[in-house]
Parts: sequence; structure tokens; C-alpha cells
Amino acid sequence: MTQEALRPDQQKPANEQDKPSAQAAKPNAADEIQDAFRKLEKTRSILHSAGDIEVGQTPHEVLAETRTYKLLHYQQMVNKTAKTPILVVYALINRSYVLDLQQDKSWVKSLLSQGFDVYLIDWKTPTVADKYVSFDDYVNCYIDDCVDIVLKKNKVDKLTLHGYCMGASMSAMYTTLHQEKVRNLAVIAPVVDTEKDTTVIGNLAKNMDVNKMVDVIGNLPCEQLYACYSALKPFKQGVNKYFNLVQNIDNEQFVGNFLRIEKWLYDTPPIAGETFRQWISDIYQKNMLVKNELKLGNDVIDLSKIKVPLLNIVADEDHLVSPQCSAPLNDMVSSTDKRLMRFHTGHVGLIASLYSQNNVLPKVGQWLKARSQ
Amino acid sequence: MNKMFNFWTDVMKLPTIGPMYAFSKDIGAYANDFINLGKIMAELKADMDSYWSLVNAAYIKAAKETAERAPKQLLSKDDFENYRRAAIEAFEDSFTALFASPEFSTVYGKLFSTQLDMSKAMQGIAEKNFKTLNLPTRSEVDEILKDVAELKRSVRELRKNAEMAKDDTRSATT
Repeated sequence: MTQEALRPDQQKPANEQDKPSAQAAKPNAADEIQDAFRKLEKTRSILHSAGDIEVGQTPHEVLAETRTYKLLHYQQMVNKTAKTPILVVYALINRSYVLDLQQDKSWVKSLLSQGFDVYLIDWKTPTVADKYVSFDDYVNCYIDDCVDIVLKKNKVDKLTLHGYCMGASMSAMYTTLHQEKVRNLAVIAPVVDTEKDTTVIGNLAKNMDVNKMVDVIGNLPCEQLYACYSALKPFKQGVNKYFNLVQNIDNEQFVGNFLRIEKWLYDTPPIAGETFRQWISDIYQKNMLVKNELKLGNDVIDLSKIKVPLLNIVADEDHLVSPQCSAPLNDMVSSTDKRLMRFHTGHVGLIASLYSQNNVLPKVGQWLKARSQ
Repeated sequence: MNKMFNFWTDVMKLPTIGPMYAFSKDIGAYANDFINLGKIMAELKADMDSYWSLVNAAYIKAAKETAERAPKQLLSKDDFENYRRAAIEAFEDSFTALFASPEFSTVYGKLFSTQLDMSKAMQGIAEKNFKTLNLPTRSEVDEILKDVAELKRSVRELRKNAEMAKDDTRSATT
């Protein structure tokens, strides 16, 4: 299958494609069976080349690159109207291009079109040599380095830190330790109070012998992550989505959307062993973040030290980080300017859907703009 | 004469540094490793049984509910579609309830832990072989990785302190 075939914008209209001609108004059973086989065959061939679909197409430059991360700087689309730059801290799970999955559903592009200067930390795949890389390294070294680069480039002394999921938790950790560099903290679905987490992931994490896992295996392998994912809505999403794909295989837009999400779902790098040990043991099992007991190196993460304006964005239907787990951040910080925004969508729908473009991003942009001058 | 005896003494010692001597010396430890591996495999079998019994129960529940909710006869395209919907709903409910249950979390955690025990036991045997052949073992490489990570943190601290000292000096002079 060619690249063009995977891009809905370059495909022929559905009626010109390899559909059988509509001979009769009401197809008979033989025609239906034949059509079902045609759809299955087309699905098989499309799925085989799913990885070729293009994602993350908003123009950007790589501002800095190390063995651990790439710092992306997106090209301005309109005149910059917000003085404070935004640094997006992506999670360590899957890839950052979910924030720029496709042009009409891009979180990054929407922020650019609202006049923000946007930077993003794109984490690279950890290798065996990164087994002992911990949250201390991610927060106090890699994020701090990126913050310094952005501040220097924009000639400002503060920025907006904007984290998603695990990246949101890391952004909150960073803000407690380096508040002098943060103007606003805007987090999407942060993992905070894991005792209140009602998700399957939270349930599985509670009995995982993570110390033994890291000692024996090292980094968390992607297969283990797939096993966890397969337990999330296993039939409605895991099985039914393929039925829907077969049924909609002649709808280019549907197929394009499906393949981009599918590519992201299966683009899962391992997680550095020591970081994963802290994530599961300290945050999920001992709930240390909410108890203000989590330690990064010699520093204790005390969320009550956060005084900067806080925006916490959560999704009611989030089955990866439940809203009950994210919302307590607002009660823990000392900020006087804080807001919790709840939206009726899911974990990915919150950032990569038409719903988020129409309902979430305008409100987020408005909040950020008012605090970015 | 002494020279000749010394030569033969050295020759006699040679096998003690070779792999065969090391293998024969460790034979008892190898036997223990394999007995231990057998015990872990027996435990793994018991944990697997617990895991599959939970999955099986969830499957039976879902199949029963599908039979109750789905159309009894599949005569039209709509019947097939309704059957699919009913099956997806029933399986989703049953398996999500299973995965979210504390019982599943415990059984899954135990199974995962036993699988790790097995990997650990096999790694132990491999490590012994590597030592016998005088090759670096995984735990030795691990120690190096740990040292490297700590060194990197120390360098980071030193660099930061140096930069702070430089800033202090600069502000004192101006």
C-alpha cells in the first residue's frame, strides 16, 4: 500500500475506489458475502501498512537533542500574542505525537493558532543503559535543561509548564522544586491521588512486585504495557474497533483516524526501570505524591509549595487516570488562582479529538492567554 | 630436578583455572539450581491454574449472558448484528469486572511474581556459566550501570554548583 493510500487527503472519493458497482438496490446474500470478503481483504492489507501513516506533521525544528530527549520548537502560525512560552511535557508512555496526531485534531496546532509559542519534550526510547534513570533525572536534569533552553531562547524568566498524564505528574514535581521558572502550571490528567484511582491499571499496579521486576528484567518491556492495555475495555475497544474498521473500510476519513490512533497505541517504548519502580511503588502503591513524601534525590516533593496559577484538566470518562485521581491536585496546592476543568470525554479524547478541538482547547487557550502576558 | 617437579606441579594445577574444573566444582550448586527451578515451575503451574480459573469463570459468565441477551435465531443481517452487540456487551462487562476486581489483581500479581522468579533462577544459572567462562555477568554490568547513573548525577550537581559559584563571583565583582 502506498503512502498516498494511507492519507485520506490524497485519496480518491469512495465511489471511485474498488467497490463493486451497485447492481441492485437490494443486494442478495451472495453479494453481501462477497462484499464482506472484499472488506476483510482490504482491512488486512491496510492494517499491514498501518505503521506508514504520517503523524506529527506540524512544522517544527529540533532545538536540542540528547540521548534521552528531543526538544521540539513549533513554527509560529499566527503572530505571537502570548508572551509566555509553553513547554509541553509529554508522558513516558507511548509517543508524544498523539498531541499532534493529525492536522484537524492537533493539540499543538490549536495552541499555535491561538498565538502561543509552543515547545515539546519528545522522550526517546530508553535503552538497557538507562535502567537506573529515575524521576530525579527526568525532573531535575532533563526537564530542567529544556526549561533553561526555552527561557534562554525566548529571553524570559518564566514559562508555562504543560504536562500530559505522567508528564503532568512530572510537571507538578518540577514546579514544587523550581517554581522560580514556572509562571503557570497547566496539567492534563495528572496521576496524583492513586488511592482514589478506580481504573484497571491502578488495580493491577497495586499488587505488582515492581522491585523484583526491575531487578530481574530491568526496563519495563513494551509487552508488559500491552498486557495492561489489553485489560482496558478489552472488547468494546480491543475487539469491537476492528469490527467497526471492517464496516467502515471504504470511509477514508474513518480509516485515517483509526490508523493514526492504532499506530500511536502500538508505538510503545519501554520505561526506564528505576523510574517505573518509583512510579508503581512510590506513587501507585504507597501514594507518596499525595502524602508529600515522594523523594527525588534529596528533595521531597511537597505539592503544597506550588503557588503558581494552576489549571487541571480532567476527563470524566478517563479509564487510564480516573478524574478522582487527578482532581485532588487542586486541593493540595497553595495557589490562589486555580481551576479544575472537567470534560465529558476519555483520556485520549481529551487531547486528540474533534471534541477537544471544539470544547477543550478554546477554554484552555483562554485560561492560558489571560496568564501569559 | 626441582625445576622438573615444579613444572609438573604447575601442570597439575592447570585444570583448576579451566572451565572443566570450575564446572565440576560447581556441580552441586547446579543441581540445587535445577531443583529450585523445578519448584518454581510447580508454583508457576499452580498460579497459572488460579489465573485461568478466573478467566474461565469470566468467560462462562459472559457466554451465559450472551445466550440470554442475544437473538435466539440468526435469520437476518440484523440478527447477526444484534448478536455481535450482545456478545461484546456481555464479554466487556464480565471481563472488565474481572480485571477491576481485587482478586484478579492478587492472582495476576502472584503469577507475574512467579514468572519473575523463574527468570531469576534461569539468570542465576546463566550467570554461573558466564563466571565459569570468565565472562562479565549481568549483575556485574548492572553494577557498572548503577555507578554510571550515580556519576552522572554527581557531575550534574558539580556543574550546577560550579555555575552558581561563577554567578556569585560575577555578581560580587559587578
